[in-house]
Amino acid sequence: MVEIVSAGLIGLSLGAQYALLALGFTLIFGIIGVVNFAHGGFYLLGGYVAYACVSMAGLPYPVAVLAAALATAALGYLFELLLLERVIDDHLSTLILTLGFSLVITTGIVLVFGPDAPLFQFPVQGVVRFLGIIVPLANIIVFAICFAAIGVAYALIYRTNFGRSLRALSEDRAVAEALGIRARLMFPLAFALATGLAGMTGALVTPILSLTPHAGEPVLAASFLVVILGGLGSLGGATLAAFLVGMIEAYAAVYLGGSKGALMLFVLVLIVLLVRPTGLYGRTARGA
Amino acid sequence: MRDPAPSGSAVLQADNVSKRFGGNTVFADVSLSLGDKEIVGVIGPNGAGKTTLINILSGQLEPTAGRVRLRGGDVTGVSLAKRAKLGVVRTFQQTKTFKSGTVEENLRRAQMFSGSNLRMDEPYVRALLDRAGLLARLDHLSDTLPYGMQKMLGLIMAILTKPGVLLLDEPAAGLERSERFFIDDYVAAVVRELGASVLLVEHDMELVKRLCPRIAVLDGGRLIAEGPPAEVLSRRDVIEAYLGTADEEDLADA
Repeated sequence: MVEIVSAGLIGLSLGAQYALLALGFTLIFGIIGVVNFAHGGFYLLGGYVAYACVSMAGLPYPVAVLAAALATAALGYLFELLLLERVIDDHLSTLILTLGFSLVITTGIVLVFGPDAPLFQFPVQGVVRFLGIIVPLANIIVFAICFAAIGVAYALIYRTNFGRSLRALSEDRAVAEALGIRARLMFPLAFALATGLAGMTGALVTPILSLTPHAGEPVLAASFLVVILGGLGSLGGATLAAFLVGMIEAYAAVYLGGSKGALMLFVLVLIVLLVRPTGLYGRTARGA
Repeated sequence: MRDPAPSGSAVLQADNVSKRFGGNTVFADVSLSLGDKEIVGVIGPNGAGKTTLINILSGQLEPTAGRVRLRGGDVTGVSLAKRAKLGVVRTFQQTKTFKSGTVEENLRRAQMFSGSNLRMDEPYVRALLDRAGLLARLDHLSDTLPYGMQKMLGLIMAILTKPGVLLLDEPAAGLERSERFFIDDYVAAVVRELGASVLLVEHDMELVKRLCPRIAVLDGGRLIAEGPPAEVLSRRDVIEAYLGTADEEDLADA
C-alpha cells in the first residue's frame, strides 16, 4: 500500500516535469513547425545557470531558478531570431541547426564547467512522513512549482491575446497572417517561452536528479516520447501523456525494475501508435 | 512595356509586376490599378495567374520585378500581416477559418488580431451573418459547418478587420447557386459601409458582370484586356483565351 502511494507521488512529480518540457517542445512544433533538438540543451543550460548562480555568485536558489528561466528564454529568443529564422521554411535545415545548437550548448558547458558532475543540491533537504509514506520535501516543492508553472503556461496560451495569436498561427498560419498577426514577431517569442520553460525545469529538477553535461539527452528523449504519445502539436495531449509517462515510469521502476520499466514504456507507446498513429490527441502533421 | 496605369487616385496599384519561380514565368509585366471605392473583376482561364496576382497584391508573395503601391506609397516588400494592418486584406479560395473555434470565436479573433474597432453586432454585419445562415449558428464549431457557410464565414471575418482594400480570391467558388447572391450583398456592404475598394478574382461570369463596372483579363500571366465587361468580353482575343473552357458560352452571351 505504502509502495503504491509513494510510487504514485513520484510519478506525479515526474509527470509535472515532463509536462513542462513537453509543453514547450510541442508549442514550438505546433507554431513554428520546428522539431527542436536543442530542447534538452536548454534544460541542461537552465541547470548550469542555476548552479552557477547559487555556487559561484552566492544567490539564493529561487533567484537562481528565475535567472535560469530568463537566461534560457533570452537565448532561445536570440537563437530563433538570428539563426533559426533564416532557414525556417526548410525542415532539414532547422533539424540540423537545432541539433548543432544542442551540441554547442553541451560542449560549451564542458568547456566552462568541466566534464564532471558538479555538486548541486536542492537547498531544502528533509522528508515528509505521513501514514508511513516518506516523500522528500524537495520533490513536493518541485512538483508544486512545476504544477503552478503548467497553470501559468496554460493561462498564457489560452487566456491572453498573446496566446490566442500563437494558437491562431499554429492552427492556420495563412489566415492568421491575412488578419494581421505578424508571425515574424511572434515566432521568437514563442520559442523563448518554450526554452524558458525548459530552462526553468532544468534549474528545478537537476538538483534532485543529477547535473552532468549529458543530462540533456534523456530529457530530449523523454520530451519526444511524451509529445509523440500525446500527439504532435497538441498541448492537452502533451500534458496528459506527460503524466501518463511519469506514472508508468514510476510504477514500472518500483515493480519491474529499471530496464524492464523503460522497455514497458516504449512498448506501450508503440501500441498506442499502432492503434492511433497520430497520438492520443494528434492531428495530421503539416509544415509551417 | 506598358506604362503603369496613370491614375492619381489609385488606392492599390501594381506597376509592371512580374513573378518567376525558377525559370518559369507565371506573371509578366502586369500593371493594374484599383481606384477609390472601385470594384474590379479579374478573370482568366485556370493557370492565368489570378491567384498569383492576389498573392502579390496582398504581400503573400514578393514579385520578382515591379512595384506594388498603396495610396502612392511603395509597399512591395511589406509582409502579408503588415499589409493587413495597413488595410489590404485578402480572402482565400478555399475555406479558411480557425477550425477549432466556434463561429463567434472566429469572428472575434478576426476583429482582435487586426486590431479593428468594428463590432460584430453592427447592423450590416449582423445582416450578412443572417443572410449566410451564420447568425443562428454562432456557437457551432466552424469545422462542422457546410462548405458554403465556412466560405462565407471567412469572407465576413475579412470585413471585421475593417479593410480599406479587399482582395477576394474566387469568393463564389464552392457556393450553391442560391448562396451566390450573398456575394452581391457582401461586396455592396463593403463598399457602402467601409468605403473600401474591392478586387475580385472570379470564374462565375454572371457574378462578375453584375458586380464589376471594370474587368481585367489575365491569360498566361499577361494582362490581355481591361475595360467595361460588355466591351472586354466581346473582344476576339479574350474569347480565344477562353476557348475550350466552360466559360465560353458566358462570353458569347456578353
